Amino acid sequence: MKAHFGVCVAALVLAASTLPHRGLNAQSTSQAMTVTSPTLSAGQPVPRQHTPDGRNDSPAIAWAGVPATAKTLMVFCEDPGVGNPPPFVHWVVYNIPASANGLPEAMPIDPSVAMPAGLVGTVQGTSGFRRPIYRGPAPPPGTPHSYHFVVYAVDMTVPQKPNTPPLTRAELLDATKGHVVGRGELVATYQRN
Amino acid sequence: MSDEQPRVISRRDILKRVGAVGAAAVTAPATTLAGLAVAAPAAAAAPQPQATAAPREAFENLTAVEADLLEAIVERLVPSDEHGPGAREARAAHYIDRALGGALASSRQAYAQGLTALERYATASRGKSFLQLSHTDQDSVLIDLETGAATGFTGSSAQFFTLVLNHTRQGMFGDPYYGGNANFVGWDLLGYPGIRTMVTPGDQKALEAHTLTSNHKSAYDYETFNKATARRGDASAHEGLAHGD
Amino acid sequence: MATRLKDTDVVIIGLGAAGGVASLPLSLAGLEVIGLEAGGAMTRRDFAPDEIRNNYRQWPMLASHKQAQEAPTVRATAAQTAVQGGAPMMNAVGGTSLHYWAQHWRLNPWDFKVVSETTRRYGASRIPKGSTVEDWPFGYDEIEAYYDKIEYELGVSGAAGNVNGKVDPRGNVFEGPRKRDYPMPPLRWTSFHEKMAGAAKQLGWKPFPGPAAINSRTYQNRSGCMYHGFCNTGGCHVDAKNSTAVTTIPRAEKTGHFKAVTGAIATTIDVDAQGRASGVTYLQNGEEFFQPAKVVLLASFAYENTRLLLLSKSAAYPKGLSNNHGQVGRHYFSHHQGAPVTALFPFDVGAWYGLPAQGVAIDDWADDNFDHAKYDFIGGANLWAMSDRRPIGASSMNTFGLAPAWGSQWKAFIKQNADRSHSSYIQKTTLPYETNYLDLDPTVKDPLGRPVIRITGEYKENERKIAEFSQDKMEEWYRAAGATAVVRAPVGGAMTAATHAYGGTRMGTNPETNVLNQWGMSHEVPNLGVLGASVMGTSGARNPTHTAQALAWRTADHIIKEWKSLA
Repeated sequence: MKAHFGVCVAALVLAASTLPHRGLNAQSTSQAMTVTSPTLSAGQPVPRQHTPDGRNDSPAIAWAGVPATAKTLMVFCEDPGVGNPPPFVHWVVYNIPASANGLPEAMPIDPSVAMPAGLVGTVQGTSGFRRPIYRGPAPPPGTPHSYHFVVYAVDMTVPQKPNTPPLTRAELLDATKGHVVGRGELVATYQRN
Repeated sequence: MSDEQPRVISRRDILKRVGAVGAAAVTAPATTLAGLAVAAPAAAAAPQPQATAAPREAFENLTAVEADLLEAIVERLVPSDEHGPGAREARAAHYIDRALGGALASSRQAYAQGLTALERYATASRGKSFLQLSHTDQDSVLIDLETGAATGFTGSSAQFFTLVLNHTRQGMFGDPYYGGNANFVGWDLLGYPGIRTMVTPGDQKALEAHTLTSNHKSAYDYETFNKATARRGDASAHEGLAHGD
Repeated sequence: MATRLKDTDVVIIGLGAAGGVASLPLSLAGLEVIGLEAGGAMTRRDFAPDEIRNNYRQWPMLASHKQAQEAPTVRATAAQTAVQGGAPMMNAVGGTSLHYWAQHWRLNPWDFKVVSETTRRYGASRIPKGSTVEDWPFGYDEIEAYYDKIEYELGVSGAAGNVNGKVDPRGNVFEGPRKRDYPMPPLRWTSFHEKMAGAAKQLGWKPFPGPAAINSRTYQNRSGCMYHGFCNTGGCHVDAKNSTAVTTIPRAEKTGHFKAVTGAIATTIDVDAQGRASGVTYLQNGEEFFQPAKVVLLASFAYENTRLLLLSKSAAYPKGLSNNHGQVGRHYFSHHQGAPVTALFPFDVGAWYGLPAQGVAIDDWADDNFDHAKYDFIGGANLWAMSDRRPIGASSMNTFGLAPAWGSQWKAFIKQNADRSHSSYIQKTTLPYETNYLDLDPTVKDPLGRPVIRITGEYKENERKIAEFSQDKMEEWYRAAGATAVVRAPVGGAMTAATHAYGGTRMGTNPETNVLNQWGMSHEVPNLGVLGASVMGTSGARNPTHTAQALAWRTADHIIKEWKSLA
């Protein structure tokens, strides 16, 4: 059963497709995908409920334009302004079935709770906070940061050795080198006073 | 107490309330319980809610509100679950409370400030008192403290979180003499077989074979040890009590 | 005005591992000896197997608050401001030997001759840049008899690896030759130690049980070790740990020529008009006393040794006692003994009982025991796999990314894995450098208004390279034994106040670069001697205490032999 979320906004489609393909190997087969959300808007502040100033629930993310060769999808939330080296990673999700067209809001933070319908096999990976959950923007007061919700389509399922921690963004990008068939992102901002 | 589980009123509760404990009451539900909404107990794992609350053990240094918050926090740090009792049963909050009057007195202010800040943060970000949040939401709040993302703390919230976690571990796994690790539930969780003043090669072999049963002994069950930190002038009042500074 | 006390022959400042040893030969020889100890006395009744008290409430250190209030300040380089940290040692009769791990190693012969041996084997250019290392003023052979003395007088358990040149693989095949075996067999092994030894043998290495100043059986009417699990920062409830409080000091007292004065805080070593030491001024219960003596022995641990000298200024020694050549505080280093490797095993390792001195050692990668031709460092590391686990400590174990630090997932993890992790202790060759030193802090003072010691020190490239190399070896060893996950701690950083602190009053032939001569007596002040690891110029890949104690006995013997000219 497909997960079905949100409505695409034309401006967002334009914004997503003109973004440079950072972090991507220069494969002509990689397609631009559109990334949208019912609560996030490109260039706009992340709503409080997706930050520790609110409930800190993960936002619903939707995508379109997934190539037919895709087997799974990965979602990262990254802050390119933090980290040694950057980016600081707020969220990692991988092995999302290609049949899904999005993630619902408030993905579970309790590992004993099952994945929502349509997301069989999906794994939340290890973030920069060393937890396999979403934790939203918490920048130091004063300066705004940007938060990139990036979606990758890959033509493989990422293998995982038993009794090992869920993978990090760096491990996933390494494991999927040469297998990226699509990419899109939605960039929002956040600032604390 | 979790508000994720439906509050179930079981037949047992009702029978307790009406004092009907005889066989007759149990076997004739239709007559005795007519008109009462009775549901079957929830899934086997759910603990039966108590009809009458157990008398509350007094806290000595924390205020009642601080104690409520601390009890709720330690319960999330080491929950009671299918793997056994947790920090509440171990009396970890009581360990901390008692220590705050003595060896950990330098942390008293940190607890006063930190617990207030936690409650304020929970209300501001999750819309409710920490005590009224679901377990999952309480965990989410604590994670935000742990990562330093929670606002309103003196310095980083992570510092307060680490302090409470460290003290909770002492209260869960320290010698019961100090008031925590009640009934050795902490040592049993870890598989620690208890204090021994002599460990023979046979004991070591039994430990390795997993046949060494816990002796449930505290260090102070052995007469030899002088408790050099006993409170001055109070010796008689503390005879028989199982605590120290 | 200080109350002048009756004259004595020798006054020892500090009755810890080193001062406590010197008290015995001096009093056996009939010299009148006063031992000034800032702390008090403790007995086995004070040593309950209590993890909260021992490991989280600084017991037994806090029986005396003094050392916390005079803890050194620390900075990595002279460009920074030093910050006061913790105090690693304790004041008491017996000092830290009451509760230390009691591993008791002889140095390897190479450790005494780092400069000449490195030059001979690899070339002088291999001595690390900026190091002020010198050869010791004597070699292993000259103090072998004193290592033997300590082993039998105090009681050290172990397995010999080289008796008079005959190598025995049951012990350390790399050790310097000894005249006879240890007085007691080594502490027993657990099945996990056997497994680690087997894995080491598979790798072609040479595992052996480590030596300890802990009875493995009844010795001198004291009990053998009980393996109860509270030896780490814990005193011994059965006097099996051979602190000076239960060995040399009581024997010294029995001679009738030794007296311990407790609660005595030495504030100055005084000198006479000829520039000789005349005695020690100390405070006891707020009252000031002057203890005159013919010979003064300073044995208050590395930081306080340097501190008291720098604070004992006079017309003859305006920069501090015995410091006219500016060497007091120099050639200091904290032993590189951190940066452990920790492993997770898929089975319990049975470490709830046991002790840190119980375990299996690998010396193949220590000091110059292997060819360094293809490496860019000199020296090496001793790898040590021991038993050390208590409940609270176990609950804060590394979760290897498999669970968070609390909550239900953590609880399930800890229930399965509490006895499945293992951490190694890796001691490395550490050398002195020009830019690592001790001096008096310009601002921080103790409650008496006296400046505390400031440590300026960081681990240099040579030691960091040894550390990385040793972590590779340790990981190899753990995985060969079946570990499924391994993590490493970072290797670099500032030299914090350490339990193994060397230098500040180094021994050496050249008075321009050393405070003491080969006998541990000051080059400048003929009747002043210094005891403890502050006299040592290199560390080797092992603990200093056995060497510090052997040298203390040797200095005492020298004083006895030269009494007529010294007194």
